[in-house]
Amino acid sequence: MGDGRRVRMTKQQIIDDIHAGMADGADAARVPELSEEEMERICEIVCDKNKIVSVEPGKEVVLSKDAGTTKFNMANNGCGVGIPSTGLLDGQLIYERCFAFDSMEFAWMDYSIKPTKAVIDFMLINYEQMSQMTTMPLVMGAMPNMGLYFAPDGPHANPTDLMREFKIEESMAASEAAADQLTNDIGYICERIGEVGCEGFDFDTTASAGDAEFVATLRGIENYRKIDPEAYIECGMSAENVLGIHGSMEYDGKIVAGMYPHEQVKLVEKAGANIFGPVVNTNSSRSFAWNVARSAVIVKECEKVSNIPVHVNLGMGVGGIPMCELPPTDIVGRSGKILIEIANVDGI
Amino acid sequence: MTEYDVRAKALKDAVISCKVPEILKAVEDAKADGMEAVPIIEIMSEAMGEVGVLFERGRIFLPHVLSAAAGMNKTMEILGPELKANSTGNEKSAIVVIGTVEGDVHDIGKSICSTMLQCGGFDIHDLGRDVPKQLFIDEIKNGATFCGMSALMTSTMMVMKDTIDIIVEQGLRDNVTVMVGGAPITQVFADKIGADIYGESASETTEKAKAILNS
Repeated sequence: MGDGRRVRMTKQQIIDDIHAGMADGADAARVPELSEEEMERICEIVCDKNKIVSVEPGKEVVLSKDAGTTKFNMANNGCGVGIPSTGLLDGQLIYERCFAFDSMEFAWMDYSIKPTKAVIDFMLINYEQMSQMTTMPLVMGAMPNMGLYFAPDGPHANPTDLMREFKIEESMAASEAAADQLTNDIGYICERIGEVGCEGFDFDTTASAGDAEFVATLRGIENYRKIDPEAYIECGMSAENVLGIHGSMEYDGKIVAGMYPHEQVKLVEKAGANIFGPVVNTNSSRSFAWNVARSAVIVKECEKVSNIPVHVNLGMGVGGIPMCELPPTDIVGRSGKILIEIANVDGI
Repeated sequence: MTEYDVRAKALKDAVISCKVPEILKAVEDAKADGMEAVPIIEIMSEAMGEVGVLFERGRIFLPHVLSAAAGMNKTMEILGPELKANSTGNEKSAIVVIGTVEGDVHDIGKSICSTMLQCGGFDIHDLGRDVPKQLFIDEIKNGATFCGMSALMTSTMMVMKDTIDIIVEQGLRDNVTVMVGGAPITQVFADKIGADIYGESASETTEKAKAILNS
């Protein structure tokens, strides 16, 4: 189940859940449904009796990674595994030499644009040292996390607090002001990392504070692309649709609130990113079959319309993976296989 | 379609438009046609339910919901004297204390839920995020009869159980309806920790809270 509980289901129950999850996803995102053959294939993969389920040789996809190496040395309640190590260099070497990662991200432990701005000089020195010891491409990463620009963490009033007082225009103004500040901060960081030759940036968990954050990030990507035409820019989302906290924010003449991955990717592409990371949320009350079929139908359309590589978010609570601390390996493998075979993703 | 149906549809459409001037005009027109205050409010309340559904499906957004609610509030001001004159004294409202539990700084889901509850007529005391357990208890002691707790992380969801245990220990359990929600929360978990309401969405939570209030 989506919360990690083990349940017994008949094949017919699994088929029914695949149909229901797929229909829910197609309806929510307003995308074409999967074919019967595709759903039968999902069922085969879900019901595969092997513990380790993977793709055929030659059909592997590349991996990109969010949050850098912070998952090693952070405590469990910060989603880490508590291994004593220097967060930056040791972790990079482990990912390159033990896990054979295709690329890697380096990130400040407080994984957001605002705090990263304050420690940028420290990060640049670390990048210089890491780049001397590794061969894989290194990009910097952080969440735009516009929530840090609102009270109680930042200078702007909290839009949802203002809305509860029916101060709707003030709420929108607060979102717009925070978005401008976030765009400026993204610009500052990207300019600085360019000075030391950093390969690029991963904007992770984008739009967590809603539509204004998404627009701010797109503007930030656009500006970054202008100052570094060769930069390798990834933009991953925080949720399957863009929350309309402002409701009217536009990018490229389109209102972004409510957009699903197949619509989001066109704007990310337009802004100048190289990779898009769509998210489909796991419903913790539904089965794995329901969730993974729902993910497949939503991501498939995104991949279909995209002109840039799509690296689907696949981990705890997204992409059909249950929301529990240690997602079962057999579930993760099945999700990956389904999203590669059915949704045709380029990466994970 | 009767004249009443036409006017009711106009009222409903106005609320769903989420535009305050249109809502107020529809109310004025309904009054001019002789419609009484109580049915006006009932029709508009029903339409607010549909606004909630449109919000959940991503067809409209939070500011639109709030605009519709603002239109409802202004309507209540206009119809207040008439409603007061016809009051049976049986109308119910309740204080809801709501917050994201201690150790969890995720705010948006909880804020959407508190906003929808406010639109549903509840008096909201939103304590924000990373709320110490004792603050929920203090609010219950001060009269909150609904306690809403949100968690986005599996590592913080057990704080909900700790808070319920304190509510029980302090003899307050019969005074309060406990509501829980958030991405890792399920009905199974809510039952396991002894919560009264699990809401998969803000609208569902609001509907369940209203049902308990009016039961």
